[in-house]
Amino acid sequence: MAPSENDIAIVGFAQLPPERRTNLTESDLVLRSTREVIAQVGIDKSEIGFTVSGSCDYLSGQGFSFVQNTDAYGMVPAINESHVEMDGAWAMYEAYVRLLQGDIDIAMAVGVGKNSNSDPSTLFTVEFDPYYLTPLGTDTWTLAALQARALIDSGKATERDFAEVVVRNRANAKSNPFAQVKGDYSVDELLAADYVRNPLRRHDLPPTTDQAAAVILARGKRAYDLCERPAWITGIDHRIEAHLPTVRKDITTSVSTRLAAEAAGAGKGPIDVAEIHAPFSFQELILRESLGLDGSTEVNPSGGALAAHSVMTVGLIRVGEAANQIIKNGKNRALAHTTSGPCLQQNLVCVLEGDQ
Amino acid sequence: MADTVQEFVFNLTFPFSRTLGSTLSTFSSALAQGQIIGVRTGGRVIAPPLEYDPDTAADSGTDWVCVGPKGTVSSWTWVPEPTNLHPLDHAFGFAFITLDGADTPMIHVVDAGSESAMSAGMRVEARFKDPADCVGRIDDIIAFVPASDPSPSEGAGEPFEAPAENEITEMDAFCDLQYVDNASPTTLMWAKALMEGRLIGQKCPQCARTIVGPRGMCSVCAIELDESHIVEVPGRGVVSNFTVVTPTPYPGQTETEPFARCSILLDGADAVIAQQEILEVPVSELRVGIHVEVVWAPENERSAADIDNRSRGSGGDIIVGWRTTGEPDEPADRYLDRMM
Ligand SMILES: [Zn+2]
Repeated sequence: MAPSENDIAIVGFAQLPPERRTNLTESDLVLRSTREVIAQVGIDKSEIGFTVSGSCDYLSGQGFSFVQNTDAYGMVPAINESHVEMDGAWAMYEAYVRLLQGDIDIAMAVGVGKNSNSDPSTLFTVEFDPYYLTPLGTDTWTLAALQARALIDSGKATERDFAEVVVRNRANAKSNPFAQVKGDYSVDELLAADYVRNPLRRHDLPPTTDQAAAVILARGKRAYDLCERPAWITGIDHRIEAHLPTVRKDITTSVSTRLAAEAAGAGKGPIDVAEIHAPFSFQELILRESLGLDGSTEVNPSGGALAAHSVMTVGLIRVGEAANQIIKNGKNRALAHTTSGPCLQQNLVCVLEGDQ
Repeated sequence: MADTVQEFVFNLTFPFSRTLGSTLSTFSSALAQGQIIGVRTGGRVIAPPLEYDPDTAADSGTDWVCVGPKGTVSSWTWVPEPTNLHPLDHAFGFAFITLDGADTPMIHVVDAGSESAMSAGMRVEARFKDPADCVGRIDDIIAFVPASDPSPSEGAGEPFEAPAENEITEMDAFCDLQYVDNASPTTLMWAKALMEGRLIGQKCPQCARTIVGPRGMCSVCAIELDESHIVEVPGRGVVSNFTVVTPTPYPGQTETEPFARCSILLDGADAVIAQQEILEVPVSELRVGIHVEVVWAPENERSAADIDNRSRGSGGDIIVGWRTTGEPDEPADRYLDRMM
């Protein structure tokens, strides 16, 4: 297609190898991932009109940690910069909106999360309702398990189905050089493990990962200067549900995902590949249904979020992996999804298309 | 010489007072009296109450309803190993519990004894703290326990008359999180040099700027710097900026009198070393342009325990402070537009 000047594409994507425990700082990770994506598209950093990152002070345990991270951009002379306290996928969304203003052509979005400094069984208690949940130490695994139990009791899925999601993602991850958890497993061997939070076992939970990733977006014809086959963002939408899972009508489905997919135009044509951010195995089953995916869509060829789960980076990696299906693999239409909050509270859907 | 520290345990702890607003004040004030309430909005009773109807975002109003103390479990899980943040120190369940008189469940703890006792449909009842210990917080309910009598709760579903003025309008919370950071290669280089009584920086091969202490990168050129870019810098420089801090009392604050923190531009460096203390100069006499030199702690008193990734450029307990050299001041305007 001949792009209009308001068409925005992803033209480059770089991710660092995921690590269970890096000895680098978040700033180091930002530097390495942004250097790599800038080199990949062959520009000078001064050509970037807007830079935005997604990271979280609570993960690093340091107030204003993102300010230190900006050292990695080279901020002299001053640059146009922003930050979201969310996954880098939302930083990418802000970069997209910024490009729509029409006065700049290139933007960079970064996600970084050094997750190994904190304990996921306690850290996320501060993310939830401070009156009704945090005083009880209600943790993220518990809330996911309550949703999983509801899914089982609804008759839509079994623990075996959960394990099958894990087996498939870990097998897919074998061909992904950026996977932390991968390999051949059998459903029966997985089901032999103890529960961490009944009905969830360790394999149903996301791994703990230190990682960073970055994408470069370009507007209009400029995209072709940086990339032979740009991944055009033809639709993007973000929907949020009530923060207390108990006031949602049915937590075995994801209304916000369905609405975001509709608004992003996911159903306007066949989707070749979908990269879904399901932190917990069973959530992939909910998301597939809510996204309206059928058997013709390849889901998570990368191994998805079960293969590496750096909170603040994992969603941007879904976007980057989906974009690479177009940029490198010649696919026509790909979908990227990311989530945030308890029990799939917030969902972002991005539809990417290549020139036909 | 003591080894440099490889891992740093950091406890993020702070007290916090939350104001509750009218809906949660009503809930908390009732709870402290042993009564759980919900609010009727949009045709259903939401318990515990929210300020808004989640379906319409409309104000959920003040149509209060008595709910519980018994209820029915609709979903559940089991915590085999409680954390320090959980309210019970032995294995327990979390559950969605729809209290009698309510249409939506609440999330709470079930002290059921064993995992096998948990099931959807089980009847449970609230076990409150001693009335004297109740403060109107959700953990005034220690836990739900299997109901001794499964029959419906008395009075559930009846209107609740809220007092004209709520007794409880605030809630105390406490954050208690632990982090274990590990020293980055750059931090280790800095800590090791300090322990040896040396100050180091990294000189960027692209822009030739010397950055003190090392950051592992040039924050102008955005390129990686490593051990090969380390340069020695002298323990002498000029105060390029300062701020006077008037301490306000908060938990953990040990300062009581106004004190200064200074940025120092070391001779030959391009980035300042920040947050430094000037010794024996009254706060009122501090100024930009003073020549200073480093004062090291005696070798046997040096500790790298505080030299972590977040204290970039800090001297921890190894640098006692900086003392004036007595040389004439430099003109202050020479120190404008300095990098951090
Ligand atoms: Zn430089």
